[in-house]
Amino acid sequence: MSEGTAASPAALEGIRVLDAAGPMGAYCGKLFADMGADVILVEPPAGSTLRREPPFIGDVEQPESGIAFTYCNTSERGITLNLDEARGQALFLKLCATAHLVIETEKPGVMARRGLGYAQLAAATPAIVLTSITPFGQTGPYADFESEDLVGLAMGGLLNMMGDPDIAPTRAGGNQAYAMASMFGAVASMLALLEAQQSGAGQHVDVSMQECVVMALENAAQFYDLEGTVRRRFGGAQRQAGTGTFACKDGYVYIFAGGMAAVRFWGNAVRWLIDGGAPGAEQLEDPRWSDIGFLDSAEAKQIFSGIFGPFALRYTKAELYYEGQRRRVPICPVSTAADIAGNRQLQHRGFFAQVMHAPSNRALTMPGAPYRLSETPWRIRRPAPRLGEHNAEIYGELGVEARELRALARQGVI
Amino acid sequence: MARLPLEGVRVTDFSWIGAGSYTTKLLADFGADVIKIESSTRLDSLRSTAPFKDRVPGVNRSGYFADRNTSKRSVTVNMKHPRGQELARALIARSDVVANNFTPGTMEKFGLGYEDVRRFKPDIIYLAMSMQGARGPDSEFVGFGLTIGALTGLQYLSGSPERIPAGTGTNYPDHVPNPCHAGFAVLAALHHRRRTGRGQYIDFAQTEPTIALLGPAIVDYTANGRIEERSGNDHPRAAPHGVYPCLGEDRWIAICVMHDGQWRRLAEALGRPEWSAAADWSTGEGRRADRRRLDRLLAAETAKRDPYELMLLLQRHGVPAGVVQNAADLVARDPQLTHRGHWLRLEHPEMGESIYNAPPFRFSRTQVALSRPAPLLGQHTAEVLGGLLGMPCEEVAALAAEGVLV
Repeated sequence: MSEGTAASPAALEGIRVLDAAGPMGAYCGKLFADMGADVILVEPPAGSTLRREPPFIGDVEQPESGIAFTYCNTSERGITLNLDEARGQALFLKLCATAHLVIETEKPGVMARRGLGYAQLAAATPAIVLTSITPFGQTGPYADFESEDLVGLAMGGLLNMMGDPDIAPTRAGGNQAYAMASMFGAVASMLALLEAQQSGAGQHVDVSMQECVVMALENAAQFYDLEGTVRRRFGGAQRQAGTGTFACKDGYVYIFAGGMAAVRFWGNAVRWLIDGGAPGAEQLEDPRWSDIGFLDSAEAKQIFSGIFGPFALRYTKAELYYEGQRRRVPICPVSTAADIAGNRQLQHRGFFAQVMHAPSNRALTMPGAPYRLSETPWRIRRPAPRLGEHNAEIYGELGVEARELRALARQGVI
Repeated sequence: MARLPLEGVRVTDFSWIGAGSYTTKLLADFGADVIKIESSTRLDSLRSTAPFKDRVPGVNRSGYFADRNTSKRSVTVNMKHPRGQELARALIARSDVVANNFTPGTMEKFGLGYEDVRRFKPDIIYLAMSMQGARGPDSEFVGFGLTIGALTGLQYLSGSPERIPAGTGTNYPDHVPNPCHAGFAVLAALHHRRRTGRGQYIDFAQTEPTIALLGPAIVDYTANGRIEERSGNDHPRAAPHGVYPCLGEDRWIAICVMHDGQWRRLAEALGRPEWSAAADWSTGEGRRADRRRLDRLLAAETAKRDPYELMLLLQRHGVPAGVVQNAADLVARDPQLTHRGHWLRLEHPEMGESIYNAPPFRFSRTQVALSRPAPLLGQHTAEVLGGLLGMPCEEVAALAAEGVLV
């Protein structure tokens, strides 16, 4: 099983995180929480905007059933707190004094205007690390721009490389610009925490979603710098002969026949096609197919698809995947969510986690450990919190009494 | 100025190509001493992958390799030679982390599997980034970022619904999901080791992080039985939301109207007051229902305009909009990346000055700078053997003569 038991030590035990992030930073808090940090989700009294993102469990549109929210906030405790209100700000400062890391995604300057900027947090809690994830960073000509996931993909340059060349570029599934900002935000936060443990001082971490997306450009910046060429998108078409997406009986497969630098696995693919009786496959043994320049040509792409295309249509994606891999050909199915749920390797690894969803009284099957640490296993500690679920518990720790808590709730502070 | 966070941490790094090299680069750029074990007999294929300086191929000329291997030292060791394996053990004994992204079983063949290593270095943090995990029916399958993008479901969800799945056009899992997850896991393991003195084994499958990023699509299937399809640039509840043509060849702008206020301001910015007056379009639901028509109307407006001028106009009106920038725009024109100092130019012994990415975040106290460009193949062999391992020159020369250091 992928999950440790309650008795296993956790890698991030003893680290407390205040997670005030919106959708752009939602996955960052999950990374900390499932590794054992005590992550407290700080939501406005009306709830995080992520709660309203479709789809919903059972298609019931209510705040405890948003799938993205439920998935991104596992292992976290949750409180409500109005950070635009003076008493809310005072409570947040008090909570900070118990924490090591604060994650936030407000526009630059918003936290400071609330009296919750880095300088103000550090004055009270010198070792605090404040990680601010924003579309373009804290300062600069675009710092105040409005952004969404799609704008981040566009401005960071990845969108230009995605989709078919004859139509508008198309985005990646699953809000990848937000995901990249969250992932780099988590790495940066961990670096700052490790540094703070040694120096005793925290710092402000300024993460730009645009820059995070730029990290995904592969070699496009280097192509421009070294060769003066601008990489374009090639969509589903072959980027090189033998590398691309092909239709099969029940969907699509992706084949990378040569492998990186294009020759290592080529012979395996050719033998497979010859053994399988693919008409014309013998010509792929010609030495010119080990010349990368030739593989880039339209002629080579046309010959390869004329041979592999009809061959692929005879089989299912599973048949092509297993037989190709048995022969050491880099080929994979273009998986749907159903293929992933049924993937035998993931099942063998016990990858999927079961997490109880109270409103529907059912266990949800969701992706589990993205890494397996032998001593400190990844583990979902609890389902995502209901709105304000841990108010009494956490404010209680701060010494706020029940009567006062009720008053704060009435006045819209929590 | 603060010390770098990972000063004093040493990594013996067997990783190569994409995901592994990028992971250890994250560690190297923040102060870890990353010693890349390479061999000309089993070359890191990124060294022979374009682009090359002056378009001339060569093991020390790839910009792709260079950007993934900053701040590291390179030692060439023939791992098939028993003395080579001995050297690797000596380096690991002086390291905190060992990293590789081989097919399972490769390190074991060198006598350097986790069980072997922990015998002489019990507190090692051992990162093994295979494609699909250490064990299981598909654990020996071969793949790269592009095939992993397909296998994990990302490609199926990316592209126009009327076309074959386009994917990201890149080896995306290699560039961000896997390096960030692996980097985070190693940093968490370092934290645990500092507290308890204990190392551990990290079994990392290069498929699982990307699947984790697609959690909502997976849960939509397991809970609701729905197979999410790719949807171009549509948003599930907002419209218009898409990529629209502008003046110029292959010039586009992304525009996202997330709520009614932004819709009114878009109409105002473009001088089309009748759009915000239309009752059918006054709500997100109404706009979404009519989104194809809105897309056509909006495209007719954007096609008359320069993408950058239009972006500034819409941003002044508070509408999320961004130019679909290409590599030339990003390197030569983007004032925000310039402001942040994103592009670094480092002097490399064979490539001369060329471009590198800075890490995508800034610290208020810790300086973020790459300590050196990518190493030449074997550039630091003598330095590491003589310095770190304290080997006399004659012994290094003898090893070289025996063919151990190729």
